[in-house]
Amino acid sequence: MSILTRSKRVITTAEVMESRGINRREFLGFCSMMAVMLGLGPEGSGKIAQAMEVKPRVPVLWLHGLECTCCSESFIRSSHPQASDVILSMISLDYDDTLMAAAGDQAEAIVDEIIRDYKGNYILAVEGNVPLAHDGWNCIVGGRPFKSRLQETARHAKAIIAWGTCAAFGCVQAARPNPTQATPISQLVEHVPVINVPGCPPIAEVMTGILTYMLTFDRLPDLDRQRRPKMFYGQRIHDKCYRRAHFDAGQFVESWDDEGARQGYCLYKLGCRGPTTYNACSTIGWNDGVSFPIKSGAPCMGCSEEGFWDRGPFYERLQGMQQFGIESNADMVGKAAAVGIGAAVGAHMAVSVAKKALQGRKDNASDEGNPS
Amino acid sequence: MTVLPTPDASGRRVIIDPITRIEGHLRIEINVDDRNVIRNAVSVGTMWRGLENILKDRDPRDAWAFAQRVCGVCTGIHALASLRSVEDALAIKIPENANLIRNIMTLTLYAQDHLVHFYHLHALDWVDVVSALRADPAATSTLAQSISSWPKSSPGYFKDIQARIAKFVGSGQLGPFRNGYWGHPGYKLPAEANLMAVAHYLEALEFQREMVKIHTVFGGKNPHPHWVVGGVPSAINVHNTGAVGAINMERLNLVVEIARRTQEFITQVYVPDLLTIASFYKDWVQWGGGLSSMNLMSYGEFPGRANDTSNDNMGMPRGAIIGGDLSRIHEVDLKDPSHIQEFVDHSWYKYPDEGKGLHPFDGITECDFRLGPAGKIDKDFLTQVDETAKYSYVKAPRFKGEAMEVGPLARLVIGYAAGRADIRQLVDGALKKLDVPLSALFSTLGRTAARGLEAQWAADRLVTTVNDLIANIRNGDINTCATEKWEPSSWPATAKGAGYCEAPRGALGHWVVIKDGRIANYQCVVPTTWNASPRDAKGKIGTYEAALMGTPMADPSRPLEVLRTIHSFDPCLACATHLYGPDGEPIVDVKVV
Amino acid sequence: MGYQRLPDDGDLPPQRIFDWPCRAWHWINALLVVVLIVSGYLIGTPLPSSSGDTSSLYVMGWLRFAHLASGQLFALGFLFRVYWAFNGNQYSWQLFLPTFWKKSWTDGFWAQIKWNLLLLKLAPRYVGLNPVANVIMLVLFVLPSLLTILTGFAMLAEVTGHDSWQYFCFGWMVSIFGNTLDLHLLHRLCLWALVCFTMSHIYIAIREDAVGRQTMVSTMLSGIRQYRR
Repeated sequence: MSILTRSKRVITTAEVMESRGINRREFLGFCSMMAVMLGLGPEGSGKIAQAMEVKPRVPVLWLHGLECTCCSESFIRSSHPQASDVILSMISLDYDDTLMAAAGDQAEAIVDEIIRDYKGNYILAVEGNVPLAHDGWNCIVGGRPFKSRLQETARHAKAIIAWGTCAAFGCVQAARPNPTQATPISQLVEHVPVINVPGCPPIAEVMTGILTYMLTFDRLPDLDRQRRPKMFYGQRIHDKCYRRAHFDAGQFVESWDDEGARQGYCLYKLGCRGPTTYNACSTIGWNDGVSFPIKSGAPCMGCSEEGFWDRGPFYERLQGMQQFGIESNADMVGKAAAVGIGAAVGAHMAVSVAKKALQGRKDNASDEGNPS
Repeated sequence: MTVLPTPDASGRRVIIDPITRIEGHLRIEINVDDRNVIRNAVSVGTMWRGLENILKDRDPRDAWAFAQRVCGVCTGIHALASLRSVEDALAIKIPENANLIRNIMTLTLYAQDHLVHFYHLHALDWVDVVSALRADPAATSTLAQSISSWPKSSPGYFKDIQARIAKFVGSGQLGPFRNGYWGHPGYKLPAEANLMAVAHYLEALEFQREMVKIHTVFGGKNPHPHWVVGGVPSAINVHNTGAVGAINMERLNLVVEIARRTQEFITQVYVPDLLTIASFYKDWVQWGGGLSSMNLMSYGEFPGRANDTSNDNMGMPRGAIIGGDLSRIHEVDLKDPSHIQEFVDHSWYKYPDEGKGLHPFDGITECDFRLGPAGKIDKDFLTQVDETAKYSYVKAPRFKGEAMEVGPLARLVIGYAAGRADIRQLVDGALKKLDVPLSALFSTLGRTAARGLEAQWAADRLVTTVNDLIANIRNGDINTCATEKWEPSSWPATAKGAGYCEAPRGALGHWVVIKDGRIANYQCVVPTTWNASPRDAKGKIGTYEAALMGTPMADPSRPLEVLRTIHSFDPCLACATHLYGPDGEPIVDVKVV
Repeated sequence: MGYQRLPDDGDLPPQRIFDWPCRAWHWINALLVVVLIVSGYLIGTPLPSSSGDTSSLYVMGWLRFAHLASGQLFALGFLFRVYWAFNGNQYSWQLFLPTFWKKSWTDGFWAQIKWNLLLLKLAPRYVGLNPVANVIMLVLFVLPSLLTILTGFAMLAEVTGHDSWQYFCFGWMVSIFGNTLDLHLLHRLCLWALVCFTMSHIYIAIREDAVGRQTMVSTMLSGIRQYRR
């Protein structure tokens, strides 16, 4: 079928619409509808129209390393924009192991074609991370270690999106003792900007939000020190938590399913990581804003934070200090030290008093022996 | 009883890597004879993560979160298996509401996961997207209306969908449909059926995100909802002040509504599509059966009452069928060391005493990536594996020495053999509609159909389970979590437990050993470990391998037939190959208190 | 100058050691440390849940206010004390810098250890800090204080956000650890270091007053050290 042969000159979305009998007026109507959908306001419509007239959809290669595919699953849960709109109208998702029709050689060929045809102009999205142990053979894709595949595709990418805590920070397979030496993307890539979108998984609308931001404004989002987009990761869950009032009031869930839990009190005492977690759960919410863990009575685990797996136990406010023994934390170590010092002070006092008394008696005895 | 053909590796070797539209990384190598019939099949799991080792020394109450990250597609089910293993070890009894809510979570997962699998991971093996451009929207509408009362079926609707595909294809940027096997002689659907399926591909993509909102209500998010040892994290408050901070009437209504719509979508879209597509591919009842006509296993799922693991209490019964004898259902005991064993003779791990299998409580694994003499690595390119030596990151689990098939087909057949009326009615109805005998189930098509029928079963049961939950709350029970054994001080010094589950993809077991309040050993044997298993010490081939044998291919360079059969299992490789701890000391038997 | 051990024998004239800014800092600081320890402990390990109307309760709110306010005063005090190390009298920098490279200092250190182990009959007498006190103050007070201030402001930067001056000045702490839960852990450990310091400091000061041959507590009040034979 001729329509399937890849044309060298890529047709813009506007041209496609025109060829399908959609006139200029209808096209602009579509753009303003998109602008509303993206929350860009009236001025956004012009930008979209312009983008569609001049630009082919940006090719996206979505690679999977060591991961659990929760990021892809989250992505397809996006409600605004819907995942199907992103895939069919906004980007060109040319390679994604989870969704693509092609397999084997036909799939691998796409990677080479995209690198050849869109050098420096495609987005590389990476889900999962790279095992360096065993020469990289702990993750083989297309017969090659994932490490080689990543480096080859990263080199010519315009930007890299590291989806999820795996790609951004290492996540579960990098937790102690990290048997495969799972390594985050940003540590393996040079000269290409990496955007970390952490979360296990990230919120669907945050994922699509970052993509559409890049397409709409044709720029990378502003990042913080950990390369996270400030717009979604700039504030802690705690800062915008609807249970914050209970925290300030000192009203806590003391144990599971207690009266406090039924009242929706603050989960701080059950180890909630909201105060140390930068994410948009408490504002955007999950799955079209239906809920987020705290709203469903579960303390936040801090899944978008670096190394959160090794900051357990999850249901204690203070993280464990296993080097001081099982079940230890800072309070136990501190209290032990304070008790130790207290005991030392007591013992010291007792010995000095005893010695003094002894000394006194001796002095008295010698005084008596030598009357002046 | 059918006998499996012996693998014959003399023909042309064809390598398919990666197998896409699955979870994780899988490679299939086949040999075809001069008539392009598959005579040898090799299933290679190509990733290894190491979760069980990472779980060591953690707090058992945290284990579910780690275990859940085994897989984000069948999200939640590993958490449930983990909770059950810890609760089994510590003899924790969960409240009825917790049991009902966990069942609701799992039923939702079945319905959603099966739906996503059918439309987004499997359908493109049967549906030619490009052919949909030639369809007549009016005829498509007639077809749709003849099979279902689903309202989105007007000619205008299909015309719009067609225009959308045309625009997309016309852009020259085919995205996920690029380089697909379009025009392959294996595609048999008329253009109208293709157009209808593409429309439903898009509708299902939209609707699946509605379904998971049930997880979001009770677990706060999806993928990876939150759980808790001893019950569920969400408290219930329907009568009093503060109910807005808990599971209240509004939340329950949301769940009721989604359950109802789920049932509607599956009844009116998924199942009719499935039966329609199946009716054009009846030749596929001949191929892909593999072990399904012989060895099937299920651990049982959906306990009606809390804390009762007896087989009568299970919505989907437990049991194993060996050698195709449907008249005898073998009991499956996760703790019996002679029942479940794992072998590594053909896996990239080493045992001190290879050739012997180990029960998960005694599991050992140490990564040992090396190829046999016929295996080749050219610089950093793995050209070929050697199936006579080690060749996969998946271990070879065996039940009483036999490779087993697990999954929806296994569950339905075991339920059918056990005489469960609900399952018999469901299966017989579908067989009658397609006009095929029961043996048709033992095939690629049968496996795919079983999944759809099970989705129907799950959606129906979801509706009734939500009603059960509301009834239980109405009876005055609002407990959701048992906390008497929350503190580690209330635990015995050592304990071990096994957690059973039936994941959407099949039998899932987690085994935990707890010492001094910490995890001393943790092992999972997951559905895809069973199905994607390599050969074992005796050379018995794995489930995927068996299923591929004898399948004729139209064009081995466009391996559509392989994808059909492999996808019919719904592979989940992150699950299968996560890792087993490197420390392999047999654990001394300890009393479970 | 600064550290100086005095002869064991004979009467010694009183010495002016702590100038008034130093003494004022000491007592204000002592008060702040107590408030910080108590409020800090209760923030990490809150009181049992309060019942009642959420909008009129502010238990954690006040605790956090007390902690954050006294914490910032504590930091200002610390800054002042560093400044005063350069501008105060000859003893004012001792707190920050033990002269451990000087033989007189190490001799004094061992002598003081012996005295504390009850091996010496006569308590050594000093102008300024004794070497052991000097080490304890550095290890259990100055360093934990510095760390507690750094981690404290880094955590405050979390509250005030990425665009705040706190984040600008202290956000690098976040980058060092990655996960800010580590800041909480360090901060908490510093709390316990300060608890340990407070206990040993008070005991030793009172004991020196009672059985040693120089005044301690009153010196910190009046600035003048009296010596006994």
